[in-house]
Amino acid sequence: MGSKSPSGLIAKGYTVTLRAPKDEQPLLIQDGLPNFSHVTLLASDNKHFAKDITPQSLVELLTLGTNLMLTVGPKQNLLTSLAPEFSLLLPPPATPLVSFFPERSDPANVVSIDIKSKPTPNDTFSVFSAAVEGNIWFSGTPFALGSNPLLFPILSAPAESFAADLTDAPGLVSDALVEASEKGGEGLWAGSSLAVVAGFQTLIGGGTGHGADSGPGEDKQARVVWVGGSSLFSDEFANKKVVEKVKDEQGLKVVEKPSANKQAALDIAAWAFQERGVLRIDSVSHRKVNTTGTPEMYTTNDEIIYNVKISSFNPINRKWEPYSAIKDLQLEFTMLDPHVRTALPAVRSIPGTYSTRFRAPDRHGVFKFVINHKRKGFTHLHHTATVPVVPPRHDGYARFLSAAWPYYAAGDAREEKKSKKE
Amino acid sequence: MSTAPPLPQNISASTVANTTSLLRILALGLISAAAIASRLFAVINFESIIHEFDPWFNYRATRVLAAKGFYEFWNWFDPTAWYPLGRVVGGTVYPGLMATSGVIYNFLHYFNLPVDIRNVCVLLAPGFSALTAWATYMFTKEMKDPSAGLLAAAFIGIVPGYISRSVAGSYDNEAIAIFLLMFTFYLWIAALKQGSALFGTLAAVFYFYMVAAWGGYAFITNMIPIHALVLLLMGRYSGRLYVAYCSWYAIGTLSSMQVPFVGFQPVRTSEHMGALGVFGLLQIVAFATLVRSHVSSKQFQNLTAISVVSLGLLGALAFIVMTYKGWIAPWTGRFYSLWDTGYAKKYIPIIASVSEHQPTAWPSFFMDLQFLIFLFPAGVVMCFRDLRDEHVFVIIYALVASYFAGVMVRLMLTLTPVVCVSAAVALSSLLDTYVDVKEPSLPDATEADKKPASSGAVGSHAGTSAAAVASSTISDIFNAAKSTKTSKPKGIWGTDARIVILLNAIGMLVFFVFHCTWVTSSAYSSPSVVLASQNPDGSQHIIDDYREAYYWLRMNTPQDAVVMSWWDYGYQIAGMADRGTLVDNNTWNNTHIATVGKAMSSTEEVAYPILRKHDVDYVLVIFGGLLGYSGDDINKFLWMVRIAQGVWPDEIQEPNYFTPQGEYRVDDRASDSMKNSLMYKMSYYRFSELYGGGNALDRVRNQHIPKVGPTLDYLEEAFTTENWIVRIYKVRKEDPLGRDLKTANAFAQGKKRKRGRVGSRRRAIV
Repeated sequence: MGSKSPSGLIAKGYTVTLRAPKDEQPLLIQDGLPNFSHVTLLASDNKHFAKDITPQSLVELLTLGTNLMLTVGPKQNLLTSLAPEFSLLLPPPATPLVSFFPERSDPANVVSIDIKSKPTPNDTFSVFSAAVEGNIWFSGTPFALGSNPLLFPILSAPAESFAADLTDAPGLVSDALVEASEKGGEGLWAGSSLAVVAGFQTLIGGGTGHGADSGPGEDKQARVVWVGGSSLFSDEFANKKVVEKVKDEQGLKVVEKPSANKQAALDIAAWAFQERGVLRIDSVSHRKVNTTGTPEMYTTNDEIIYNVKISSFNPINRKWEPYSAIKDLQLEFTMLDPHVRTALPAVRSIPGTYSTRFRAPDRHGVFKFVINHKRKGFTHLHHTATVPVVPPRHDGYARFLSAAWPYYAAGDAREEKKSKKE
Repeated sequence: MSTAPPLPQNISASTVANTTSLLRILALGLISAAAIASRLFAVINFESIIHEFDPWFNYRATRVLAAKGFYEFWNWFDPTAWYPLGRVVGGTVYPGLMATSGVIYNFLHYFNLPVDIRNVCVLLAPGFSALTAWATYMFTKEMKDPSAGLLAAAFIGIVPGYISRSVAGSYDNEAIAIFLLMFTFYLWIAALKQGSALFGTLAAVFYFYMVAAWGGYAFITNMIPIHALVLLLMGRYSGRLYVAYCSWYAIGTLSSMQVPFVGFQPVRTSEHMGALGVFGLLQIVAFATLVRSHVSSKQFQNLTAISVVSLGLLGALAFIVMTYKGWIAPWTGRFYSLWDTGYAKKYIPIIASVSEHQPTAWPSFFMDLQFLIFLFPAGVVMCFRDLRDEHVFVIIYALVASYFAGVMVRLMLTLTPVVCVSAAVALSSLLDTYVDVKEPSLPDATEADKKPASSGAVGSHAGTSAAAVASSTISDIFNAAKSTKTSKPKGIWGTDARIVILLNAIGMLVFFVFHCTWVTSSAYSSPSVVLASQNPDGSQHIIDDYREAYYWLRMNTPQDAVVMSWWDYGYQIAGMADRGTLVDNNTWNNTHIATVGKAMSSTEEVAYPILRKHDVDYVLVIFGGLLGYSGDDINKFLWMVRIAQGVWPDEIQEPNYFTPQGEYRVDDRASDSMKNSLMYKMSYYRFSELYGGGNALDRVRNQHIPKVGPTLDYLEEAFTTENWIVRIYKVRKEDPLGRDLKTANAFAQGKKRKRGRVGSRRRAIV
């Protein structure tokens, strides 16, 4: 395979099992259980695979919590039919990403992409670590991203690039592409809205927190990385220098820089294999103000304190560490609709703890504490705890009623009369 | 005076009195035994099990009461019912039944009799039926005499109209409420007769018990004021009436307000305003009477009369204004449906959907009351003979209850006691006349030609003695009104005439007993949780699908799973499966029920978000198509549609579920809405596979189900019982890839995906 990743992965402590596309063993799923924690499909040129590798079995792997790294090739194969399930739109076969800018000696389909153009997926989290600097060499298929909110681009194509068929060189644009554009609209296969690497974080059951899907379930969340071409991981691209023209006093000067492919590949793998951006809820507790212990039920208008401990995975020492950096964590107290929705800020003094205090609504029913934190790049945090909110007990109402003062007065008067008699 | 058969002469009066009272006690004891025994068919034919639907909730509540004590029961919030709204059980329940069982249970355990609470619940209704017989005896004794009382007690003991609600295992509010109804009425009559504040207070105490036991207490709340009002209008105002009514109303109303479910209703709702109005009227009348007794002048009396009338008008006006302003709640829909039988179907389908709220069919009067229904008018007419205050009560009761029994099957229950009382009065008058051995003294010469004709008429109409008695009574009244001057001797001559009539009466009584026994054993003793059918060899075959399904839920689903079903099965799921339900037989929230109706009658795509929003884990449907069990959900389906339509008229429309010809079909001619509805899909999912893929016959509707059955994407079959009566489906979770489940399913089955468009992009300009 000539890839650098396995050695890099082995160096990180992974056990790597290699399997040729048509090998029957070892099976991906045996007796309903996955055999591997992570599966990478690098055989992008192959058209046929062994029996147990089907789009369906790959999706099943995801539901079982196995991470996937899939590289798309120029030919149609099982990934072509799998991609739409992730709302990923592949261009027609044999239409690689092409760019004629900047001018360079390499063929047009070997594109260098500036990594610093945009942090992905967003400002709060980037799949690429700070160690990735410079340009990445890429050669392969780009894809357009559909509307699925779970999907995000990790590496976008350069703005001046587009998908094209290089075999019919004079026209550069194949009939298939025209047809696809007709369907998809103008500009679908061009520009920086195309991605060459895309990430996908699976949902875990939606989670009503009730009955069959109670419990955390972060361990079942899986990640998928779609890569436009396996050459991104190749030694050739890792060693290929990036030629840049830098302005200085003597005019333009040609500078050769090492490519960022190696580190980028490791970072992509690190995200895909759940090393980075992995959060979990350690514990949840809620109680009434001025009491200890979780009550079985709350009374309407109780003041409730809700605490949650969140930690993140540190891949270096392979330990879970308290994580206080979430700025937008929210808590909902819902019964059909959220009756209370409040910010859940981090507690400064205790790392990894988020806490809030709120008043239970004046409404009885079965309420749920819901944390539903879904941010691109991070594991989804989802937790629900069901608790009934009941009306006051028969002796829990106020003893003195302002509406009853005539009766109190009458009672007093009688008392006075009595005492006078005595 | 001569007698037909000779009578023994040398018996002292005290011996006679002692013997009659001993016989009465013996008779009452035997009547009680018969009443209890005839209600045990259910236990003997099936087992000691709680019946039907509502009793399952009562049983569950009683268990909480027995296990945790009264205060915990009082404050019980049930988070599993009406999920996620929950139910404040302590404040929405009539606790009388549970409290009664709890007291009995604790009493037995105090004496170290370790009786299971279930058996207390199962046998409570038969036990109270014996008390009802006694209360009816007391009541009828006030009307006529002890012998009529004994007849009434015997009637109410075995009459099917009452047994239908009080067989062993039918642990419902009515089980104790009929006793309380009759006993409160007895105490009211006793209070009225004697002008006794003590009896008035006792009536109030039992009225309170009744309020705590059954929502039908409103019947007493309105019967007694109507009686008092009629007495007032008849000019029968007396100190006795004033004392009896005021002591009953004041204490009864205050104590009834202690029941949390009732709360301030007695002073805030229109149903209770009659009692308050009559109370006010009585005060005015009492004041006027007082003034009149002290003031002699004619003008002054006129003045008081005018002021009384104007005060009454003013009170009525104030009442109208308060209703208009909303301080007094107007009449509820349930009440309107009593006047207009079509009202509920139009405006509150939830009430109309209950079979026991349908108007009564004529045969069921005969089925439930047999020959009593013929004697009933006769007894009422005989009440006109004396027309004492208590007879007025029976007449009013008879009129009101007859009307209500005609409107609603369920209210047959309130009619039954007065039928028994009136019939007993009529029959005992007949027997009194014919058993009485005294020969009348010889008539005057002028009367001689009249009398034999009259007695001959009685003889010739012997076959229909009820009519005969009625006609003779009417002629009596007629004669009494016509000629008060000459008192005619009345009576029967000879033994043969007596024997013909008596044999006839006894024959009718015997037939009545056979009828009651047959109806009880065949119609009213089925638990409905367990169904019985006959094997080809005539032996009994038990169909136990309900319990099979409920126990499956109990054993195989998480403790906090929520099960959605139509509301009929809510109490049973809570009681037997111990799982949360969305809606149950306590139909307090129409919107929530309509939500379930909407989910059931919509397509899967529409229903799924509703199911997920309500955290539904399982959906349960009743399907009778395989067995021919007609009480299944497809037959109730139109009610679900109607109730959902009431809340979402834009989304659910009843006509869509019929064929263009207006037929309700489930075969291949069924409408699209029908075929795509969740209920249809869940009922017939994989049904044709059972028939090897063809010619699947729905035996309830006698229609052939299409060969290609419905498919399910958002639900998966979890469990189906032996006879397919109960089918349970599991709601699938969201797809991990965020697709809709239909697409995900198509993908999993390897179907080719249609390539979707990217919607929002610019189109190329050609």
